[in-house]
Amino acid sequence: MDRRFVISALCVCLTLSATARTRPHYGGTLRIETAGDPWQMPDGIARRLVLDTLTSVSDTGGAQTALAVRWESQNAAHRWEFWIRPGVHFQDGEALTSDTVAAALTDVCARPAARMGACPWRTVRGVGPSVVFVSDSPVPDLPELLAQTEFAIARQDASGAVIGTGPFRVTGFANGALTLVANDDCWSGRPFADGVELRTRRAVRDQWLDLSVGKADVVEVPPELLRQAEQQHLNVLVSRPVDLLALTIAPDGWFASREMRQAAALAIDRTALYNVIFQKQGEVTASLLPQSLSGYAFLFASDRDLDRARALRGGATTATMMLSTADTSVADMSTTGQLAAERLALNLHEAGFNVQAVAAPGSRPTSALALRRVHLEATGAQAALDEMLARFGQNSTVTGTDAAALWQQERGVLDNETIVPLLWLPRAWAVGERVRDLRLLSDGAPDLSDTSLEGAR
Amino acid sequence: MKSARYNPPQRMMDKMRWAVLVAALVGLLPAAHAGNWEQPAGDLAKQIAALAGPGLARLTIRNESSLTAGEIPAIRRLLERDLRGFGVVTGGSDSATLIGTLIRVTLSENLQGGLWVAEVLEGTETRVTMLPVSLGAAAAVSSGPALTLRRTLMITETEPVLDAQLFSVGTLQRLVVLEPERVVTYIRSAPVLGSGMASGSWVEDQRFVIAAGRPLPRDVRGELVAAPDHLFEAYLPGVMCSGTNTGAQIAVACADSDDPWPITGSVGGAVGQRAFYNALRDFFTGVLAPGFGMELPSFYGASGIPRPTGTGLLLNTVDGRVMLIENNGVKAVSGANDWGSDFAVVRSECGSGVQVLVSGSGAAAGGDSLRAYELVGREAIAVSAPLPVEGAVVAMHASENGTSAGTGATVVVRRDAPLRYEVWDGSALCN
Repeated sequence: MDRRFVISALCVCLTLSATARTRPHYGGTLRIETAGDPWQMPDGIARRLVLDTLTSVSDTGGAQTALAVRWESQNAAHRWEFWIRPGVHFQDGEALTSDTVAAALTDVCARPAARMGACPWRTVRGVGPSVVFVSDSPVPDLPELLAQTEFAIARQDASGAVIGTGPFRVTGFANGALTLVANDDCWSGRPFADGVELRTRRAVRDQWLDLSVGKADVVEVPPELLRQAEQQHLNVLVSRPVDLLALTIAPDGWFASREMRQAAALAIDRTALYNVIFQKQGEVTASLLPQSLSGYAFLFASDRDLDRARALRGGATTATMMLSTADTSVADMSTTGQLAAERLALNLHEAGFNVQAVAAPGSRPTSALALRRVHLEATGAQAALDEMLARFGQNSTVTGTDAAALWQQERGVLDNETIVPLLWLPRAWAVGERVRDLRLLSDGAPDLSDTSLEGAR
Repeated sequence: MKSARYNPPQRMMDKMRWAVLVAALVGLLPAAHAGNWEQPAGDLAKQIAALAGPGLARLTIRNESSLTAGEIPAIRRLLERDLRGFGVVTGGSDSATLIGTLIRVTLSENLQGGLWVAEVLEGTETRVTMLPVSLGAAAAVSSGPALTLRRTLMITETEPVLDAQLFSVGTLQRLVVLEPERVVTYIRSAPVLGSGMASGSWVEDQRFVIAAGRPLPRDVRGELVAAPDHLFEAYLPGVMCSGTNTGAQIAVACADSDDPWPITGSVGGAVGQRAFYNALRDFFTGVLAPGFGMELPSFYGASGIPRPTGTGLLLNTVDGRVMLIENNGVKAVSGANDWGSDFAVVRSECGSGVQVLVSGSGAAAGGDSLRAYELVGREAIAVSAPLPVEGAVVAMHASENGTSAGTGATVVVRRDAPLRYEVWDGSALCN
């Protein structure tokens, strides 16, 4: 097994087993700082605190009950029925019904920016206590897909504010800080902390400073700074690999032919990217899924083959092409992303491509070549592949269930050479001394609703 | 008295015998493991043969899983044997140039378990087949100076377990498991001949849904208590259930309730103490019924404990102190800094006969622990070594036998990756 993964997994396991064993205390305000937008799709940290999903995922990948208490597939997984948990209320007191759930999910699919791929169902509607999904092709992993935060159930209250059924509700935003208070009537139990203060768009250096002087309780640690965090003796929680760094190649212009795209892919030196830019964190990959999740990622060759790249490119002189950094998940990637893009441009230049790295953070890729960082929430291999295909705008649904079928389908997508997976990266958080029982969710987000504060009453 | 013997065995000879025995057992280990891999090796060989067809091939095996290096040769032998059975004869690496087919097997794993991947390379063509494989696990115990703590696994559940107790009706013993949203009962299956077990495993018998009137708090707690006029009572925040025996089956009825939870049994005609639970939090309010005529702080748990002058009440407060109420006074217990939030008073045949089984405080790095203490005066003295617990102790209750102190305790341990709840029967044995 990959030693790096073992170390990462060990970090997670240690943090999990080292959770304090005295009972959690109620009270206090958790102070979190992030570089990104807490409401950003799909994985903004505030979204998880305010909104709930129909299902949740277990750490082994199966779907668990959340707002839905049970579900059933019919007509060979073309039709799904989910029964809504009774007695659940939105934060303004309105009852959760199958109609509000259906309306919320319809709204998600109607927003073009909400999702790169189409929603995996054709229609969704409330029928009595249940919600019925109908799709044109079978969706055997719909329960797992509905656990993704992009399918969280939200509605607007009378003032137009977004509300949900989650453990916290938003009370205001001032001076760059989003404030949330505990939802006493939350169906999953009142959270331990009375409130959360989320300082947004905070540079990592400032976050660490605030943590060191006790002004913050939980701050971000980008993977490339994990070693530095270790040297500074920060108490760090590290997730499994949850962010995929990938190069996308638009199949037109110079890259209209598969050979040219393959040449570009073969020119990439992933090991240098891993060693230099990301300080040996995460894992080198050529797969859309991490090895720990699929078990077959090693089948996709990740070695550089410059000679073959040059041969495939032929003698043609290419015009100068742009390589943009379009980061869909972490706003603070701009510096690291630019460095990574410049290294990729250098690799491509060695194969004869004239490429120039340009920064375009936070936007959809507009150039032929784009460096993207894509977040993965699912923990089941099939749902994870479905999620990644959607994130990369591939309008196909995974139909196979066993590992061999998933590999076949993934290979079919990657053989097109429009997506070149490079590195799987973990997410990490540094935690202050007064924080107890902080655990990371399976997608690397901190589980703040089950976190308590030392000394709180 | 020892009988005289001619030329009695020497210690060195004993050692040699032990060495031979150990060597024999060690030698048997791979064979034992080989037994585990017999089926998957056969299945993978069949899949490989379907891709490669009969003939010569070179086989390489790479381990990318949590299997130990010592297990790989056995798996290789099995694969080679089974491939031969399908007409695929594997050669060594020296014959690589002569053999056109390369079979590259990777013993990998994912979140669901093992995944064995075989790549069959012929010329420029690569064909792949995969086989999910179940990987096994094991458990351990430990000992201490004055007492030895022993724990026996009763059952493992994927849902949170709040308490589990054995209740007997006639000769039939039932394991009742209290979960946040249901009560599940188990009965023992018939023992399997040759399994070496005197009794069978627990098999689910009945389940009852608990419909709570309002959401349960996080860190939900609950307790099963033997009832004088029926089988048991189950207490949860804001809910109480009664379990009655209706012949061969059990009936459980639940209702919203703010009634105080029993914390001590009735001893010597004295009325047992009950404590009001804060249904929105994870602790008792500090109000007791009938009470001691004094104000008490909020506490996580309380239990009656036999004392030289009668029965005291031991409680651990929300602010981390351990208090003893006896002779109408409240005293702080010293030496309890390492105590976690969960404890149970148990009886044993050793020491003073009464020990407090305590979870760890979280101060130590790594997993949780169990440790036995005795109360000498107002001081808690450790009488066993800590028994390491893989996972976190999330609940502990004295075993229900109708008295305030049982001979053991139910210990619920939460384990991660994958998330599961183990119910252990913990008890103290004399050294």
